[in-house]
Amino acid sequence: MKNPLRKRVLRELRDEIGKYLVVFILMVSTIGFVSGFLVADGSMMTAYNESFEKYNIEDGNFRTDDEIHRSQREKIEAEGVTLYENFYIESEMDNGSTVRIFKNREDVDLVCLMKGELPQEKDEIAIDRMYADNNGLTVGDTLTGGSHEWKITGLVALSDYSALFQNNSDSMFDSIKFGVAVVTPDGFAQLNQDLLQYDYAWVYDEKPVTEKEEKERSEDLMKAIGKIVTLEDFTPQYLNQAIRFTGDDMGSDRAMVTVLLYIVIVIMAFVFALTISNTIRKEAGVIGTLRASGYTKQELVRHYMTLPILVTLIGAVIGNILGYTIFKDVCVAMYYGSYSLPTYVTIWNAEAFLMTTVVPLLIMLAVNYGVLRYKLNLSPLKFLRRDLSGKKQHRAVHLSPRIRFFQRFRLRVIFQNVSNYIVLLIGILFTNLILMFGLLLPSTLDHYQKEVQENLLADYQYILSVPVSAVSGSRIDEAFALLDFYLGTRTDNEDAEQFSAYELNTAEDGYKSEEILLYGVDPKSSYIQADFSEDGVWVSSAYADKYLLKEGDTITLKEKYEDDVYSFQVAGIYDYTASLCVFMKQQQLNKTFDLGDEYFSGYFSDTPITDIKEKYIGSVLDLDALTKISRQLDVSMGNMMGLMNGFAILIFVVVIYLLSKIIIEKNAQAISMTKILGYTNGEISRLYIVSTSIVVVVCILLSFPVECVLMKFLFRAIMLSSMTGWITLWIDPMIYVQMFAAGAGSYFVVALLEYWRIRRVPMDEALKNAE
Amino acid sequence: MYNLIPNLTVRENVEVGAYLSDRPLDVDELLHTLGIYEHQRKLPNQLSGGQQQRTAIGRAIVKNPDILLCDEPTGALDYNTSKEILKLIETVNQKYGNTIIMVTHNDAIKDMADRVVRLRDGMIRKNYRNEHKIPAAELEW
Repeated sequence: MKNPLRKRVLRELRDEIGKYLVVFILMVSTIGFVSGFLVADGSMMTAYNESFEKYNIEDGNFRTDDEIHRSQREKIEAEGVTLYENFYIESEMDNGSTVRIFKNREDVDLVCLMKGELPQEKDEIAIDRMYADNNGLTVGDTLTGGSHEWKITGLVALSDYSALFQNNSDSMFDSIKFGVAVVTPDGFAQLNQDLLQYDYAWVYDEKPVTEKEEKERSEDLMKAIGKIVTLEDFTPQYLNQAIRFTGDDMGSDRAMVTVLLYIVIVIMAFVFALTISNTIRKEAGVIGTLRASGYTKQELVRHYMTLPILVTLIGAVIGNILGYTIFKDVCVAMYYGSYSLPTYVTIWNAEAFLMTTVVPLLIMLAVNYGVLRYKLNLSPLKFLRRDLSGKKQHRAVHLSPRIRFFQRFRLRVIFQNVSNYIVLLIGILFTNLILMFGLLLPSTLDHYQKEVQENLLADYQYILSVPVSAVSGSRIDEAFALLDFYLGTRTDNEDAEQFSAYELNTAEDGYKSEEILLYGVDPKSSYIQADFSEDGVWVSSAYADKYLLKEGDTITLKEKYEDDVYSFQVAGIYDYTASLCVFMKQQQLNKTFDLGDEYFSGYFSDTPITDIKEKYIGSVLDLDALTKISRQLDVSMGNMMGLMNGFAILIFVVVIYLLSKIIIEKNAQAISMTKILGYTNGEISRLYIVSTSIVVVVCILLSFPVECVLMKFLFRAIMLSSMTGWITLWIDPMIYVQMFAAGAGSYFVVALLEYWRIRRVPMDEALKNAE
Repeated sequence: MYNLIPNLTVRENVEVGAYLSDRPLDVDELLHTLGIYEHQRKLPNQLSGGQQQRTAIGRAIVKNPDILLCDEPTGALDYNTSKEILKLIETVNQKYGNTIIMVTHNDAIKDMADRVVRLRDGMIRKNYRNEHKIPAAELEW
């Protein structure tokens, strides 16, 4: 005969729909959201990584001022590379943007068609998908540039432009004002050929394995090519931001979501433990009777585990389905919103499945089994008496009769439910932490932007770029190029002040290696007010904050691809939050790096410098460039904040709902009796709901200082693990107000539900349910 | 059984009733009358059945009601405890002067009442004034 208890399963589900709905929602939302994200991230990352081979992405490119001859080409290719023409013409469009137009590529840097078709006729064009999105263009529209009218036939992703950097030295890419496109050879021919840029992509015949090898190889190649032709520009792939930026940046959200997942798993374990103990308490009489009539412990454990496990399983299945469909698409859309990525294939993510599905399922199993096994050790008689405490009840806490009756009553409710309230505190702590992070990031970024703005070294920092030909051509060419450079970089601007700069990498263990800009400045500089009388260096406050540096410490920096290591003593912290940098005397810097006494590499200036040659300006560090990191974060994480806040509030509501439901259920008989005695629903609510309200408010308030400390720790961990640069954490006091409002608001909804539940407690509960 | 609120003390359970009344009885005095004054700080599960019943009665009469309905007040109690409770009900009746309607299956208890209404299957079989009322202490069954 089949176990007749099985018939209870569906009925129990119907009777306890609220409780199981909570478990279900927790599972579905966590799995959906987290695995959706991890799957999207993993799939996009794979698509990106595979694109190198799939689209045969170049190993580098260089630009010459003229087309190279066959003999020159043969000489270059003898260096172990294959060259491909990748000529382009930049065209100003009527919408104010610049589009870099290529011929459709056939051998290297292949184009991924995202929508429509590639151009066939000479007036047809396929433009970058993200540029199209940002400029409201789509297939069938017309793109006008001067006298040309292009019919858009397709939206594409160029494999060598996943991040739309116009110039490799740009601090940030701009996918609104800059786009790339491909046209037919005929279409290309009708463009203004005076603007033609002779760009050549190369692919190594034998690919270097390590980054170091790649660097050496490319440097040798640059020297070799420099002797054959005059180089305008030379960018090996590992330095090409348009190709590499996307990959470097994509992993940064991952760390954050993983932290979120751990938090939710902890909350889940508590929620599961509470639901099962609640079930046992409610079913005590039944369990006692069944045990007394001969059911074994094992049979009962199995019986009471069936439903929660079933619900968790269904939640897991639906969560995964949603994760791989809706949530994944949302996350993928976020990536497509930032980067011009090729098409992707959804890849099953084993880690995501393990973390979001297997682990919660195991926790559910373990918690249920453990609690049931433990509780079922009590004798059947104890169950029949509904005495599950295991030990004798302690004396009641004495409360003075002078305390008003309602207050005492509420205190008793709080004492009765201390364990529930502890779980509530933990739940609030964690959900508020998620909420705080969601609210904090945008405001921290805002604050950072303002701080940087108030704190600029100079309104403009010009970093000069020595032309490639000045270091790679023949001796005579070099001399001419250098002379032109020196003449072209003189300025009469009185605000301008020369400085030297040198880039090194950090060499600290446990941190991501990152670039540090060393400034060599005039000791009497009007832009950098620091005391350079001693030998040490000043580090920016961002640097000091990130690496926990203080005066007197020693910093160690190294050349990026070499083993040369430099140590400096910190003479002071310079209040500058915009970037991680080091300040020293110009003389000291020039000497340290053997640059010559006269060397300088840029200007500080409070006014724009107009009299230096455009082509020698490598980049201008102005406010826009310096706040790149915060905008980059805003772009890559900003979209997620809304989702995170929603998720946090959902979990908050779910936890509070479950706990207050348990509290009301526990007291159903007392509530029923008070109704019989003549208490109104309002009065009963004031007794039972207000006590929970007090606890919720206290928990929320208590969570603030704890969260502040946790956030400092967490923010630091995230900043260290996921990105270069540094943003100072700033907690806007308004965030606390917002968190309180969100908490109180969502609690209010739960309280209404509880009021409804109290009203529904029937009077006969107390009369009929005589123990 | 007595529907006391498990997480409130004896005194607080009585106060649950007092709160509802505009002219409640003095709780301390009532606890003395009920004989549970020394147990006032205990929780219901630390009490015997009789003490729990006293508390429940206390909760009912602290409101100082004109009529007190007692449904089988001795139903789950042993002989001695039952008599204690009946004596208490008698005392309450004399001291506070409220009307008490008591339902019981114990035939002997009718002798302490002023009026007896005998019911069977919901029908009144007898209704008479008890001329030979005896104190609760002298009831025997």
